[in-house]
Amino acid sequence: MSFLEVKNIKKNFGNTEVLKDISFDMDKGQVVSVIGSSGSGKTTLLRCLNFLETPDSGSIRIKDELLFDSSVNTALSEKEIRKKRLHFGLVFQSFNLFPQYTAIDNICLAPSLLSKEDPSIDASAIRDRAYELLIQMGLSNRVDNYPHELSGGQQQRVAIARALALNPDILCFDEPTSALNPELTGEVLKVIRELADKKTTMIIVTHEMSFARDVSDIAIFMDKGVIVEQGPSKEIIDSPRLERTKQFLAYYR
Amino acid sequence: MFLSVTGALFAGFLNTLKLFVLTLLFSLPLGLIISFGSMKNLKLLRYPVKFFIWIIRGTPLMLQLLVIYYGPGIILHANIWGSGDNGRFSAALVAFVINYACYFSEIFRGGIQSIPVGQYEAGQVLGMTKHQIFTKIILLQVIKRIIPPISNEVITLVKDTSLARVIAVYEVIWEGQSFIKSAGIIWPLFYTGIFYLLFSGLLTLLFGYIEKKLDYFKIK
Ligand SMILES: Nc1ncnc2c1ncn2[C@@H]1O[C@H](COP(=O)(O)OP(=O)(O)OP(=O)(O)O)[C@@H](O)[C@H]1O
Ligand SMILES: [Mg+2]
Repeated sequence: MSFLEVKNIKKNFGNTEVLKDISFDMDKGQVVSVIGSSGSGKTTLLRCLNFLETPDSGSIRIKDELLFDSSVNTALSEKEIRKKRLHFGLVFQSFNLFPQYTAIDNICLAPSLLSKEDPSIDASAIRDRAYELLIQMGLSNRVDNYPHELSGGQQQRVAIARALALNPDILCFDEPTSALNPELTGEVLKVIRELADKKTTMIIVTHEMSFARDVSDIAIFMDKGVIVEQGPSKEIIDSPRLERTKQFLAYYR
Repeated sequence: MFLSVTGALFAGFLNTLKLFVLTLLFSLPLGLIISFGSMKNLKLLRYPVKFFIWIIRGTPLMLQLLVIYYGPGIILHANIWGSGDNGRFSAALVAFVINYACYFSEIFRGGIQSIPVGQYEAGQVLGMTKHQIFTKIILLQVIKRIIPPISNEVITLVKDTSLARVIAVYEVIWEGQSFIKSAGIIWPLFYTGIFYLLFSGLLTLLFGYIEKKLDYFKIK
């Protein structure tokens, strides 16, 4: 059985069907990239995985644990949702760092709060781990800076560290470099690449085709709320079979 | 003469100050509660709250003072305010608290709604509770946002307290004016101005200090 199993996810906003019937699997340690034109539902898919949206139907299963199933689900309490969404991390396009906290405090905030209700988290180790993550992100000299004192690329790397600090099973990225100018894009892609080398399980929504091709194992091409084509990323991006995929990729050549 | 004027004005100003402090003490928390009401998705709650805010902000405080003081006695034939200075002071306080709570609630609402949803969502995906998100992330950003408009309102309140005299609450201007009749002198009125200037100056410094304290971070 796969590590993550997403089955028949549908999501409507009012009368618009945003996700029509999304199914895919992935294994632990894999990197999946999601590509597709604007409005195809990529963000909505990530938001469903992170419980920021509730799918209208379908199921999500991770490591044999059924996280969501529209056919059996009764209303979930906040506590249950919080527990379920911790399987996933999400890095936003616009970073969303907390402006009143320094880089390291942005990372420590959530783990510290969680350690109060979960005795298995060692509160004294949180800060050291956060520091380690900042070093891993190449930010050892930015530990005590506030977000407004950091460049966009640095902010996004803090946001990645913040998500990693909770040890999610799968880390999701929603166009992590789209708000950055090209000079800063490279430094963020570099740390994501390093995470891939360490076998971090990731789902990355991106418009960086060569990055998707090199870093991810599987590419999913979405269009108008459906998965048009999915497969090994090199195959999908270098030699797509379907006309729609070819058209889309033509814009990136 | 100067000493007796000073004494009378101090006595009046004490009343002004009492009204000022008590108004803030009650209207700030009440304003927060009203702001939550005005942001609720439930229309049955939101619309009446918005209507109430419109009434209070759309009519003069002077009118509200008169209605709140005389209304119960004349309409309900119940003298809920009691007699004497204390009764009038209580009525004035209630009018001020309601009025200022409505103004503050709109400031709070604006402040809370100005925080981008991304801040809430970032907290959510990090497994934080609604309560933690509000207290640990949103609140301080809201406070930073609303300090300037709150400071404006508070300084307006200092001067608005003088309206309480329409229901014969003996505040500082009342005392100053009484010397026109009793002694034929006008300078005590100017003197009351100094009380206001010093007090609002002090508040300006205080708010400036708080703003500076919150300068260490910036909100997008
Ligand atoms: N909360 C919402 N209410 C109504 N419609 C929405 C909402 N969120 C998204 N949509 C619509 O759903 C569709 C898919 O949006 P989504 O953000 O998932 O696309 P996307 O693939 O991430 O696009 P982009 O590449 O521009 O980020 C769009 O047509 C959008 O207008
Ligand atoms: Mg998107």
